[in-house]
Amino acid sequence: MSRPFPYTYISCPCADTPVPDPARKRRSRESPQKPTPERTSASDEDKKHIAQGSNQVEAEEEEEQTFDPRSPRSNFSLFPPEQLLYCEECHQIKCPRCITEEIVSWYCPNCLFETPSSMVKSDGNRCGRNCFNCPVCTAPLAVSTIENMTGNGSQQGPWVLSCGYCLWTTLDVGIKFDKPTNIRSQLQKMTDSSNPAPTFDTRSRQASRTFGDLKSPLSSYASIDEQANPGEGDGEQSAGQETATAPLGAEARFAALKSFYRTQINETSNSPSDPLSSDFGFSSPGALNRLMSLYASSSRLAGLYGGSKKPKSKLPVMREALTTSEGLRVAPENAEVAVIERLASPDCGWDGVASAEQRAAQSPDVRFTDDLLPLPVLLRTKRAKRCKLCKHILVKPETKPQSTRFRIRLIALSYIPLPTLRPLTLSSSSSLISAAIPPPDLNALAPLRPIHVLLTLKNHMFDPVRITLATPSVTPGRVASKVTVLCPQFDIGANSDVWDEALQGASAPLAGDPRSAALRGTSEKVAEAGKVWDKGRNWTTVVLEVIPGILPGTQPMMPGAGAEADDGNSTSGGDDALASRQDEDVLEIPVFVHMEWDAEAQLEQQNLGKGSKPDDLVSRELAYWMVLGVGRIQASL
Amino acid sequence: MPPKVAKGEYIETDTGNKISRRSQIHGTQHIILGGKTVIQAEAVIRGDLYRLHSSASGDPNNPATPTPTTQPNTPSVAITVGRYSYISKAAILRPPSRLHRGVHSFYPLKIGDHVFVGESAVIEAASLGNHVHVGAHASVGSMAIIKDFSCVLDGAVVPPGMVVPSWCVVGGQPARIVGEVGEGYGVEGAEGGLARERYRVVGKP
Repeated sequence: MSRPFPYTYISCPCADTPVPDPARKRRSRESPQKPTPERTSASDEDKKHIAQGSNQVEAEEEEEQTFDPRSPRSNFSLFPPEQLLYCEECHQIKCPRCITEEIVSWYCPNCLFETPSSMVKSDGNRCGRNCFNCPVCTAPLAVSTIENMTGNGSQQGPWVLSCGYCLWTTLDVGIKFDKPTNIRSQLQKMTDSSNPAPTFDTRSRQASRTFGDLKSPLSSYASIDEQANPGEGDGEQSAGQETATAPLGAEARFAALKSFYRTQINETSNSPSDPLSSDFGFSSPGALNRLMSLYASSSRLAGLYGGSKKPKSKLPVMREALTTSEGLRVAPENAEVAVIERLASPDCGWDGVASAEQRAAQSPDVRFTDDLLPLPVLLRTKRAKRCKLCKHILVKPETKPQSTRFRIRLIALSYIPLPTLRPLTLSSSSSLISAAIPPPDLNALAPLRPIHVLLTLKNHMFDPVRITLATPSVTPGRVASKVTVLCPQFDIGANSDVWDEALQGASAPLAGDPRSAALRGTSEKVAEAGKVWDKGRNWTTVVLEVIPGILPGTQPMMPGAGAEADDGNSTSGGDDALASRQDEDVLEIPVFVHMEWDAEAQLEQQNLGKGSKPDDLVSRELAYWMVLGVGRIQASL
Repeated sequence: MPPKVAKGEYIETDTGNKISRRSQIHGTQHIILGGKTVIQAEAVIRGDLYRLHSSASGDPNNPATPTPTTQPNTPSVAITVGRYSYISKAAILRPPSRLHRGVHSFYPLKIGDHVFVGESAVIEAASLGNHVHVGAHASVGSMAIIKDFSCVLDGAVVPPGMVVPSWCVVGGQPARIVGEVGEGYGVEGAEGGLARERYRVVGKP
């Protein structure tokens, strides 16, 4: 989502410090301690943090410090302020990249009911009630009765799911429901049989279930070692075919295959007691032994052909599914021809073929829109968030899906000042431009024409904060805009009690609001260097003077009539240049914010005794980059 | 600065609602504004599409044209708008309707506090929660429910009957959940919490 101008983004410091990624971990495994990457990066962070604050290590820091909002990397570190969290243990801003998430609860976004975690897996991460999405357009489906139109009669008629967006109904695929409730299980009953006729389904589903019950005890005997087995399997299959020749539905087949392979793993693994972990869990010593012998045997194999056979007494071999009951499905003889014929037939046409997006959500056999089934709504989650470094919990929402409250919510906005940007309407007293100029159009800033923007920082902490702003005098990149912060050092008051504000405001309710006063009073006010523009209880506004640079391709400034004549050429030239590099005309200003405040010491800090003042106050500091998106520079002068 | 209209563009009510003189509001007795609500020019608010009481069975003719004769002693509410909500230029608020037992009837439209409705948006939802942001040119279908702290992107078409859970961002045609807003969404002054600021600057030269 791109935001309209003016916007402010804050850069998470994690971009500078390496995030503990899997690659690093792999490397660090060579050294014995595992938590090294975390620790080093944490100490790095601290070091940087201190260095930034006290400007001790200026020389080496300076080079890498100028934040370039245009560099491809910065895309990954810039976040809107409300997305950022703050870890009280690390005293650092946390972006979505430096947190871990854990699921608190699952809920259906449509009916907003919570799904217990035990049910999530069996329901396939989908809502088990009446919530369905349209297979054609993904809009939610509504349960409605066919008899609705005929009026006042009892609403007993068959029920369908209908889409309010594309007007698709389940009638299009020939599905009706007997009851308006528990549609998911009704639908499952219908689709478990491959027979499309809904009258058949109960019987064949039962058949498939009995097959499922039959299969597991039988297939436990089935192993490739026993020579008698294939014949036995055949016999069983032929016996089974009498009861139900219909192949299983997709879900039943999946279940059958799953249990079949599970028993196969059971059979072939050395320790049948825990089938999966011994075979696939690489952490278990048994698996390690097997892997090692595998390597050893293969190396021996390279030297001595066939030598590997000796140490192995008997290699367990997994067989594939052989019968329908085990999940085997033999492709029909001329299925593909039939599909092609149907594709080519005039009554199918383009509209009859399911699109790739539609097929992606359906079972793999679906090719035509007639086969599309309504999709149960995917569940969503509520997630708690933890700091990746210290595992401190940052966000913990209430479990109830309807609730919007949080048990814990450490958002960055309650710690760092909230930046807001506003163009300053130029006044008559301004030296360059005459009076009654409308506020500058931020989507078309004239190059080389200075504008003033107001940067307001609002403090949400209960302690007053000292702020130092720093910005490169010329913005990085090809378009060099000049930026001056007229007042780089200032204080912001504490966010005192809300009642104080209310009482203060009561004396002069609305007109007394300083911000609107500032807006109105612009005609008298002049931006002055070294002076704060405006100040309130817990906010301070300073002025930035910005001179937008010239876009590459723009003709050099020709004062007078020439500029007008060149307009057409220069814009076209500008367009070419713009095409080469995207969004180069966006004027973004990197600003380095350094904040200092005295916080009440917590217990650990008191014990440390470092930096604690006699009155239990610890001086804290935090530094970060933010990016102010001022506007878009015009191509023409 | 736009040239100031002689009488002022906005009517300010006792409760602080700022209503543009160029907005079209029908059926005002069926509309409740919570105070400090802003209604901009060319916005259309259809309070005249209210639900008729006790006429569900015996009124087969189209209730879309309200008949004042059947109006009960307490006027039914068609549209409720909360505090600090902002209805932008050319937006349309229309109560949702549904065919129930063969009768087409309207249901109330509830809009919470700190809601922003973008330019030329069409709202037919059953309810918009608090701190909801509806982008420009978006359309919210009949009987949709948009929960608190959610965001409808510009140009999105929320299909009828859709439920958008809290903290979700929906977009596209038809709208799907495309993301989530940050935890700080709705904090005063940040994204989603700009309603007071928006209200303050309305009508100021």
